[in-house]
Amino acid sequence: MAETVLRKPMKATHSINDAFASKFAKSMFLTVSAILVLMFIGTRMFTHVDLNLYGYMVGTFVFIAGFFYRFIAWGERPPTKIIIKKGIKLLFRKSTPKTSVNHLGTYEFIWNRGIYRWTQHLLIGWGVILSCLVTFPLVFGWMYFTMEESGYYTIVAMGVDLITVPADGVIAFLSYNALNITAIMVIIGVCMALYRRLKNMQARAEQKFLYDFLPLYLLLFISITGLILTFMNVFLHGAGHYAMSLIHQYSVIVTLIYLPFGKLAHIPFRPLSVFARNYREHYGEQSMKECKVCGDEFVSTEQSQDVVNVLGTNEIDFTMEKDGFNLAELCLPCRRKYRISRFAGFPTHEVKTKEANQNAKG
Amino acid sequence: MKKRLYIELENCIGCRSCLAACTQCGGHEERNRNYVYDVNPHVNRQTMPLMCLHCENPACARSCPAQAIQIHETGAVLSALVEKCIGCQNCTIACPYGIPKFDEEQNLMYKCDLCIDRTKDGIPPMCASVCPSNTLQWLTEEEIEQKQRRHDLDNDKWVTSMPYLEGATNVKVNLPGILQGTEKLF
Repeated sequence: MAETVLRKPMKATHSINDAFASKFAKSMFLTVSAILVLMFIGTRMFTHVDLNLYGYMVGTFVFIAGFFYRFIAWGERPPTKIIIKKGIKLLFRKSTPKTSVNHLGTYEFIWNRGIYRWTQHLLIGWGVILSCLVTFPLVFGWMYFTMEESGYYTIVAMGVDLITVPADGVIAFLSYNALNITAIMVIIGVCMALYRRLKNMQARAEQKFLYDFLPLYLLLFISITGLILTFMNVFLHGAGHYAMSLIHQYSVIVTLIYLPFGKLAHIPFRPLSVFARNYREHYGEQSMKECKVCGDEFVSTEQSQDVVNVLGTNEIDFTMEKDGFNLAELCLPCRRKYRISRFAGFPTHEVKTKEANQNAKG
Repeated sequence: MKKRLYIELENCIGCRSCLAACTQCGGHEERNRNYVYDVNPHVNRQTMPLMCLHCENPACARSCPAQAIQIHETGAVLSALVEKCIGCQNCTIACPYGIPKFDEEQNLMYKCDLCIDRTKDGIPPMCASVCPSNTLQWLTEEEIEQKQRRHDLDNDKWVTSMPYLEGATNVKVNLPGILQGTEKLF
């Protein structure tokens, strides 16, 4: 009897989460199930699976496991958790589509870092995204081609006959060569990136071989082996095709499995920048925090409080008992002046004057 | 030999060489990441530099949702990784000294990285290389200890951490007044 009294009463919930041992297990199960269901539909009940691409399918499942492992561990960090939670809540803001296109499609912020860097990133980024949009539907049978009538291809998407095109037409040409075109985009972009890494002083100061160069070499290797495959088929009558297709396949799988753990991890994680922008805009419109010293509005009240809480979970507390404020409640210039006052013993932050020349321009 | 940035605040003459030098560091894209403040601007000309003190437990990195602020093996708290920084500006709110700068157009935070391309090889950071008044120095642990012994005036004026700072830092600072009555040799 005593045991049952001591035990915490179980709440009678009927949440879907109760069915799974962990968040990871749930995410994995739901994703793999969804892919299998989509495959079932797309391949007309598994009658059109391209077994030549079977290796990619296994690679993708391993990638998904790695991705969830990394993403869930990362999402447990207190500041990340806040951004994800509030970001999802604010996902349907009016500005979301515009911000998303800007941050994830046209990369305006990279344009502002330099046109060269923007060009290389656009080529690599869109080269990779378009390649994925072609490859994965083919792997999972969401898209395939049939030739019912000689000379005409039927493009089948999700089990539905989408369009019938002449085998020597423009659409057919673009379909066969989509991956060749994206390979060329990636090769140009990667070469630009490699050149920058060899020449640019900032890049040279910070780069590491495994972190910065390895992903570029992997992308280059994938693109070149892919193009060689086309070359072999077109000009060598398919000589060496099988060996090369395995080499290409392995290089893709290795890159895919490595993706969530290295520099390329910024591809799946980057949408967080849209969350961050929404978070700042939304709470900024609600109420702004006034600096406790000069009264300037410098950040949203929400964010100021969130940062204080996050630091609290790390046992960092910047409450200045004597002065009656937390350092997160001071605007940046006032916070710097306050530090000078702590060094000098004179209340610099209370002198009502603009900070003098901070840019070394005379 | 591990060296540290060491700041003797009262030596500062306000020349802003450290700001100019900062812009010229290989990784800094001609933008300085440090500050020089007038202590009491309407009354006298005393100035003091303020730069990232490279906290041992950096609030900026703790508050970063993207893990964009990495800590180098030398202890330097690095500028945001360009591909990871999502532009939330948590770090600017978290830093107790107001150090990180934010570029709205590039959607990117940047801060003092202690000229990591130089200091990782034992070369002093740009600011310490050019400081004409020995406010910013690049010293070994022994040299800093020597200074501490020499200046131990038992008046609480030697500081490397609390209560004048908010936590232990890799950059060592000593407060003005410590050199009173001692002869300075530049």
